[in-house]
Amino acid sequence: MCRCWELYWGWVPCAPTPWLLLSLVCAAPFGLLGEETRKVSMEVISGGPNPQNLLHIWAVGTNSTLHYVWSTLGPPAVVLVATNTTQSVLSVNWSLLLSPDPDGGLMVLPKDSIQFSSALVFTRLLEFDSTKVSEWAAQPSGKPYPPYSLAEFSWNSSLDQATLSAAFQGHPVDDPSGAFANGSLAFKVKAFSGSGRPAQPPRLLHSADTCQLEVALVGASPRGNHSLFGLEVATLDTGLSCPPMKELRSIDDEYAPAVFQLDQLLWDSSPSGFMQWRPVAFSQKQRSRESALPCQASSLNYTLAHLLPRSPVVQAFFGSQKNFCAFTLTFGAPTGPGYWDQHYLSWSMLLGVGVPPVDVLSPLVLGIMAVALGTPGLLLLGGGLFLLLRHKPYSEYQSIN
Amino acid sequence: MEEEDEEARALLGDRPEGDSAVRGAPRALPALCDPSHLAHRLVVLLLMCFLGFGSYFCYDSPAALQTQVKRDMQVNTTKFMLLYAWYSWPNVVLCLLGGFLIDRIFGIRWGTVIFSSFVCVGQVIFALGGIVNAFWLMEFGRFVFGCGFSSSTFRIGGESLAVAQNTYAVSWFKGKELNLVFGLQLSMARIGSTVNMNLMGWLYTKIETSLGSAGHLTLGVTLMIGEVVKLTDIKDFSLPLWLIFLICVCYYAAVFPFIGLGKVFFIEKFGFSPQSASAINSLLVVAMLCGLLLIPVLSGQYRVCHISSHVPSIRTPGGQNWEEHHLGPVCSSYHSPVPHDAGLHLLEPMDRYGKSHTVSFCPAVQCLLGLSYSLLACALWPMVAFVVPEHQLGTAYGFMQSIQNLGLAVISILAGMILDSRGYLLLEVFFIACVSLSLLAVVGLYLVNRARDSTLK
Repeated sequence: MCRCWELYWGWVPCAPTPWLLLSLVCAAPFGLLGEETRKVSMEVISGGPNPQNLLHIWAVGTNSTLHYVWSTLGPPAVVLVATNTTQSVLSVNWSLLLSPDPDGGLMVLPKDSIQFSSALVFTRLLEFDSTKVSEWAAQPSGKPYPPYSLAEFSWNSSLDQATLSAAFQGHPVDDPSGAFANGSLAFKVKAFSGSGRPAQPPRLLHSADTCQLEVALVGASPRGNHSLFGLEVATLDTGLSCPPMKELRSIDDEYAPAVFQLDQLLWDSSPSGFMQWRPVAFSQKQRSRESALPCQASSLNYTLAHLLPRSPVVQAFFGSQKNFCAFTLTFGAPTGPGYWDQHYLSWSMLLGVGVPPVDVLSPLVLGIMAVALGTPGLLLLGGGLFLLLRHKPYSEYQSIN
Repeated sequence: MEEEDEEARALLGDRPEGDSAVRGAPRALPALCDPSHLAHRLVVLLLMCFLGFGSYFCYDSPAALQTQVKRDMQVNTTKFMLLYAWYSWPNVVLCLLGGFLIDRIFGIRWGTVIFSSFVCVGQVIFALGGIVNAFWLMEFGRFVFGCGFSSSTFRIGGESLAVAQNTYAVSWFKGKELNLVFGLQLSMARIGSTVNMNLMGWLYTKIETSLGSAGHLTLGVTLMIGEVVKLTDIKDFSLPLWLIFLICVCYYAAVFPFIGLGKVFFIEKFGFSPQSASAINSLLVVAMLCGLLLIPVLSGQYRVCHISSHVPSIRTPGGQNWEEHHLGPVCSSYHSPVPHDAGLHLLEPMDRYGKSHTVSFCPAVQCLLGLSYSLLACALWPMVAFVVPEHQLGTAYGFMQSIQNLGLAVISILAGMILDSRGYLLLEVFFIACVSLSLLAVVGLYLVNRARDSTLK
C-alpha cells in the first residue's frame, strides 16, 4: 500500500493504518455512509420532578441519521447511535430513567434500524502533583491527588441554536476546599452540518458525521503549585475486547504547529464510531504554540462498572454493564507551559460515526512543493538532454599549462 | 605550479617594503615573528582559527539555547529569531564598509582589535540581557556583536579569497596551503558552532539562571587587502554576478535559520532528547567542517574548488573550469531540497516502524545537508573572482556579504513567524522554495554563461 513518495528510497512497508502522501492527496474527508452534508437539529428534553435535561442532537442525511444524546445525569455522558433511516426517533421514559433501574428508559426507534451504538462517559477529573515524579512510578505525571468525581457535579446548560452548539458548566456540589469557587469545568458541544475546520488550534477537520466536544477547565484552584490535570474517560467494550487506540503520525502540522500526531479510538464494528483528537491541550485562551501542552493518553483497560461513577443514561440505553473500558488523558508536563500559567486548560475531540476525517496536505504546500521541486528538475533535465544531444564543437583552444 | 612560485618569489622580493608598512617591524625577527618561518605561519594560523572559533561559538549561542531563551524571556519564535536578525542588520552596511574601515582608517592591527572587541563586548551585553531579563538588551548585544563579527572574522578570514596583490597571504601560504588556510578558517568557524551547540545546553543545566557567555581569543595577524571598496562599482555588476548573489542569499537563508531552529525541531518532531537533538543539529555543522577541509584539499586534483592564486594573467580560466565550478552549486543546490524533503518523508515510515527502532535517518540527512553546503561554499565564493574584474573584487565580496546578511536577517524573522503560525511543515516547504530559487539561479547562471561563452573569457 505504501508506494508513492517513498518509492525511490526503497519499498517501505507501512503500519496497517493508511497514511501516505498519495492518500493525503486523494483522500477527501467523507463521512459514514458518504454523507457530505446533514440537516442537524438540537433539542433539550426535560423531564422529571426536579427538571433534568438531556441534549438530543440528530443529524439527518439522505438515508441515515446520527443521534447524539448528551446528558449530565450522573457523570457527563454521550450515547451515540447511527441508524440507516431518516425516520428514527428518540424516546425517553423519564420515570424509568430516574429510577434506580433505568434499563429501557432511553430508546431509539425503530430498533432494527440501529447500525451502530456506543457511549462515552467522562467519569473523573484527575489531578497530579508533578513535582513528585519518579521514573519508575506507574504515574509518570506525578503523585495523584484525590480525583473529582464528575457524577457529583452540578451542571448549568446553555444552548445556541444558531451555531448548533451547547455548553454544560459544572462545579462540585460539595466543595469544602473552595477549589471551584471561581472556576468551572465546561463541556462544549458543537454539531456540524458539513465539513470544515475551525479557526483555532487544534483545528480538527470535522465532517457532517461528527460533532466536536471541547473540555475546558477554567479558574479552578489547583491543589499544588505545579498540578497537572487529567480526565478519565470510559466507554463500552465491543464484546470481545476494548477498542484499540491508534496514533496516526504525519508530517503535516500546518493546522496545529508542532503537533504531528492524531489519536483515534475506533470501535471496530462496521460502520464504526470513532473518537479523534490531537494529543495537545492549550493553557491559554489564545491558543498558540507557546501555550501547547502535551496530552498523554493511557491505553484502554477493562474496569469493573462498580469502580466507576454510574451513568443512568448509558444503563438506560444499553442495559446493565459489567465492564467498561477506561483510559485517562493527562494534560501537560512538569516543565514548560501548564495550567498554572493562567488557570486555563482546553482540549478538543471529535466524535462521530464512519470513516474518521484525515488531514490532507493543503493546496498551498502541494503547490509550492510542485513548483519548487519540479521547475528546477525540469530545467535540469531539459538542459542536460539539450547538452547531451548537442554536437560539441572541437575546441582548438590550448591552455598555456 | 611554477608560475605561482615565480610570483611568490617576486612578491617576496618586494617584502622589505611590505614589512616596513607594518608599524615598527625590525629587520631581524625572531622565528615566531618572521613570516618566512613555518612556526610564524602556524601561530598566525592558530590565532586566526581561534578568532573564527570564538566568533562562531558566540554566533550560534541562541540556537543551542532556543528553548531556554524562549521560556525564560517569555518570547515566541518570531522574537527569538530577532536575535539572529539583529546580528545581521549591521552587517548589511559593515560588509561594505568594514574592509575600507580596517584598511584605510584603522589599519589592520587596530581594526582587528576594535572589531574583535565589538564581538566580545556584544556577547557580554547579550549575556547581561539574559541576566537582567531584558530582551531588548539581548537584541542590542547581538547588534553590537554583529557590528564586530563580520568585519573581524570575514575580513580577516576572507582575505584569502581576495585577489592576490596581497603580500602576506601569497608569500606566507602558497598554493595548496592557501586553500588549506581558507578551509581551516571556515572549518574552525564550524567547529565553534558545533562545540557551542553541544556544550551550551549542558552548560545551561549546570548554571540554571545565567545564559552562557564566552569570551574568545582574538588578535590575529591579518592579511592585507589591496582594494578600496567603491560603492559606485555596484552598478557595473554583470548579470552572472547578480545571479551569484541570488544563489548566495537564497541558499544561506535556507541553511542558517534551519540551524537556528534545528534543535527544537528535532525535539518536537522526532522526540529526541535535548542532548541528542543538539548533537544531531551540530552534525550538520560537523559535516560542513569536513567538507570545507576536504574539498580544498581535493581541489588540486579534481579542480572542483580552485581558490589558489587568482591572477588572471597567469591562469586562464577556460570554459572547463567554469563548468566545473558550476557543478558544485548545481549539485549542492539540488542536494538541499532533497535532504530536506527526504528527511521529512523518509523519517516518517522509519518512526512508524516502532519506537524500538532507534535507527533514524536524521544524522545521515544532516550530514548530507552539511556536505552540500560546504560544496556550495567552496564553489560559490571563488566564482565571484571569475566574474568580476580585479578592481571591483573587494566591492563585490563586500556587497555579497552585505546582501547575504540582509537576506538572513529578513528570512530569520520570516522563519520565526511561519513556524509560530503554520508549523514546521510549512517552514520546511519555505526553505525548499528558497533553495529551489537558488537552484534556478544556478541553472540560469549556467545558461547565461553558455550563451556568452565566446565573450566571457
